[in-house]
Amino acid sequence: MTNALIHVQRLTKRYPEGAVRRTVLDGFDLTIQRGEAVALMGPSGSGKSTLLNLIGAMERPDSGAVWFDGTDLAELDETERTLFRRRRLGFIFQQLNLVPTLTVLENLLLPLELNRALDRGARRRAQALLERVGLPERGDSYPERLSGGERQRVAVARALVHGPDLLLADEPTGSLDAQTAGVVLDLFDELRREYGMTAVIATHAPDVAERADRVVELRRRAHAGGSAA
Amino acid sequence: MILARAGLRHHLRNPWQAALAILGVALGVAVVVAVELANASAERAFTRSAEALAGDATHRVTAGSAGLDEGLYAQLRRSGVRPATPVVEGYVDGPQGRPLRVLGVDPWAEAGVRDTVAGAAFRVDAADWLGSEAAAVLFEKDAQRLGIGAGDRLDVEVGGRGRSLVVAAVAEPADALTAEGLRDTVVVDIATAQELLGRVGRLDRIDLVVPDGAPGERMLARVAEHLPPEAEVQDAQDGAAALDEMTAAFRLNLTAFSLLALLVGALLIYNAISFSVVQRRPLLGRLRALGVGRGQLFRGVVAEGVLLGALGTVLGLPLGYALAEILLELVTRTITDLYFVLSVRDVTLAPSAVAMAAILGVVAAGGAAAAPAWEAASVAPRSALERASLEGRARRWVRWLALAGCGLAALGGLLLWGYGGGLVVGFAGVFALLAGAALVVPWAVYTLALVAAYPAGAVFGAPGRMAARGVAAGLSRSGVAGTALVIAVTAVIGVTVMIDSFRGSLATWLETTLSADVYVSAPSQAGDRPPALVPDLAERLGAVDGVEYVATARYLRVPSAYGEVRLRAFDHGPIGDRGMRYKDRTADAWERFEAGEAAFVTEPFAAHHKLATGDRIALRTPQGVHELPVAAVVYDYTTSEGAVFVGRAFYDDHWGDEAINSLAVHAATGVDREGLIDALRQAAGAEAAALRFRSDAEIRQLSLEVFDRTFAITRVLQLLATVVAAAGVFGALFALSLERTGEVAVLRALGLTPRQVGVLELARTGLLGGFAGLLAIPPGLALAGALTGVINQRAFGWSLQLSVDPAVLVQGVVLASGAALLAGLYPAYRAARIPPGEAMRDEG
Repeated sequence: MTNALIHVQRLTKRYPEGAVRRTVLDGFDLTIQRGEAVALMGPSGSGKSTLLNLIGAMERPDSGAVWFDGTDLAELDETERTLFRRRRLGFIFQQLNLVPTLTVLENLLLPLELNRALDRGARRRAQALLERVGLPERGDSYPERLSGGERQRVAVARALVHGPDLLLADEPTGSLDAQTAGVVLDLFDELRREYGMTAVIATHAPDVAERADRVVELRRRAHAGGSAA
Repeated sequence: MILARAGLRHHLRNPWQAALAILGVALGVAVVVAVELANASAERAFTRSAEALAGDATHRVTAGSAGLDEGLYAQLRRSGVRPATPVVEGYVDGPQGRPLRVLGVDPWAEAGVRDTVAGAAFRVDAADWLGSEAAAVLFEKDAQRLGIGAGDRLDVEVGGRGRSLVVAAVAEPADALTAEGLRDTVVVDIATAQELLGRVGRLDRIDLVVPDGAPGERMLARVAEHLPPEAEVQDAQDGAAALDEMTAAFRLNLTAFSLLALLVGALLIYNAISFSVVQRRPLLGRLRALGVGRGQLFRGVVAEGVLLGALGTVLGLPLGYALAEILLELVTRTITDLYFVLSVRDVTLAPSAVAMAAILGVVAAGGAAAAPAWEAASVAPRSALERASLEGRARRWVRWLALAGCGLAALGGLLLWGYGGGLVVGFAGVFALLAGAALVVPWAVYTLALVAAYPAGAVFGAPGRMAARGVAAGLSRSGVAGTALVIAVTAVIGVTVMIDSFRGSLATWLETTLSADVYVSAPSQAGDRPPALVPDLAERLGAVDGVEYVATARYLRVPSAYGEVRLRAFDHGPIGDRGMRYKDRTADAWERFEAGEAAFVTEPFAAHHKLATGDRIALRTPQGVHELPVAAVVYDYTTSEGAVFVGRAFYDDHWGDEAINSLAVHAATGVDREGLIDALRQAAGAEAAALRFRSDAEIRQLSLEVFDRTFAITRVLQLLATVVAAAGVFGALFALSLERTGEVAVLRALGLTPRQVGVLELARTGLLGGFAGLLAIPPGLALAGALTGVINQRAFGWSLQLSVDPAVLVQGVVLASGAALLAGLYPAYRAARIPPGEAMRDEG
């Protein structure tokens, strides 16, 4: 357990749906080790994105706790949660990843700037990452000029650029065709391993889940009984 | 129907946006309706009053403000001229400080001319009319308002002296229209009015009812036989028409302001409706993909616009009505200050205002919806799904709009400065200029935002860049909001510079023309004629120690070839032409003026009647019509109607009365002014209580106070235009913040704190406001130039010295930024509170 990065304990989350509250997660438990890549699978509404949001300190649980590296995220106030995300997490979403008013390079530099780590070395690292994701010439382009696959490659690079402890990816290839998705996933895997990062990926796609060290199945309106490996 | 339901549900699901659209329409409608109602109510009150006072009279015998000898009436009666009735009319201060019109009539001659007045007069016993106390008849509404009835005393003040009348009867006008026209009127008999108003032995006019055809001609011929040279017979409607014309330019200015409000209001409506349409572009794209025709989509969206417009109009009407009550008071006060006493208390819902509201609210909303609806219906289904395609199109369009705007602004410049048309052409030029500026704004905002991204990024990093580029990225939103703000701030800068220039010109003029140390006059009701002073007063004051000379002035209205004109007769003695500021003059102008051989005309008079130095002007005097050459055109800001100046010698020769209306006391060097005023009061003796002794500084201050009061309405309208524009910015920012929910969620996920998000949103708003303020400076200055150099010249004949205080320009930028920041507070607060997880789930 000492090598565990994340410990999810009896996590419950409900959302209002009209007059009733729908339970998405109900007493869910999960432990993720450092360096481990976990795929969350399950049908729509099973709570994959919700779990990702709770681990990413973007939402608060109704009950239960998420421990991250020994810290109960529920104990953090809004500013601390923001700083936590800023410093320790990297996000990749299905879409809406990039800030449309920043160029590709500026999007990459944004996490570094927020962490006050925008030195010359950081710029070189960002440029190098752009080259790694195959877009060395697109640094000055705005996101609207990129294809969907290119945008996701930039999103992968941005999630890694500030060296976070955990990568959270929500359907990272959900909006891409199979070939492009393959390119993005290869890149994601390669870089994650190279940087030795822990990752949690929510996905519907079995080929995405296959690349993970472990697959956690979630069921609609019930917990899937995920447990420490 | 299903399409309509989809549209309706969109608004039900986004009640805030629907409410904003409706509010936008309501505000735009309210401002236009308010100006229109205030204008129409003032005009209506004036017309009603003129009608009620004229009664059935078709003609009037008049000799300007000097009046007629009362013997003339007796002569006319004796020669069988009837119906004819004498009138003495003037104003006194009523119990609540409001002006009361004193209508002095012969109760026995009123029948057949003004039946309501005759009816009122007959309610009083003949014995009361002839009694020792001054009897008066009040009309019912005034009696109620003043809380007095028959038998009570009515205390008034005239020429600074308190007087008391006895209310002999309270009468009820025959109908509502007459009641409205005779509001604030007190009827007294001729002798009482003459005594009260200081016009003993004089009549202001004799009203006649002249029949059609030969009998009428015979009657007029009989009148002509007895007419003294200074008098003339006027068509009764001409007098009212002349007064109406006097305020025409003022009302046209107000209408121009209401059109400005309409322009801003229309932009706001366009803004509000286009937001609700643009937000649904993905839905519209899906509907197009499902096979919905372009025409169906277009009609559906326009119908929604019309519906929102109708709801906004329904809301805007009562709002405009309430606003009109405030504006009406300002309009009335300005007309009273500048032209004549006008009493209006009620705003009447004029059909023209309702029609204007319907056109603005419903048709303009439909029209405003048409542009985005057409845009959405015209694009291919796939691209309708992409927000970027809209912004791409917007970016392409703005260049062409900017080019068209430059053309339009150039046309405006040509109309204003390259073509010597009338006032309407001038206003067309102003609107072309403003519309041109409006079309350039979106491109300018876009370009400025992109340029500003570099310094903003260098100073504030990525958030700075995001704020600046966000303005450019949301061009389809920020462009229209920015335009509304630019137009409003342009108006603020233009009008403020114009007012400042006007004030500066007036102050300079006062500085040079008020050459005396103390001015003496009797108080009069604003807009009414000044009371005459005791003739030997000048002599008595001239004998006071330290007084160098007492110059005199006589003010009156006299008939002329140009209608009734203001005449001022000056005796300057050794002071010479000190105090005259010439615009143009002949070499011996002053000498000929003093000798009574030439007249001066003021700049507005010359402009209105197209007169120049060397032309001749004909005045009707008691010695007959006399022509004088115009030896000079002088600057004068006291009346937009203009005036003719003559030397006292000419006045004495032709009028032969000793009357004076004001004295200008020139003191020897080093004489203490306060001490001098005390000495002058003592020398005036018993009359001092009814006189005003004012220093030149006091006169200057009072003149500037009246000036400021006159422009109060302009400032209110400016403020309203800014409020409307700020509402537009709020709508734009709110819509942007709703659209950017996903983007904000990503930023929050990346680690931007709520505060940083809020600051980012506010920075974007502030930048938009700052850009609008900067962009408003060039058109604002052009507008100021047009208003001072062209519009004022053509409307009033005044030439004003354009002076630009840089602080006004800074204030414009601060105002725009402040309005935008204020409007951005809630959207920023809302953005800062977006829960990132929830937002990502909703957007994903």
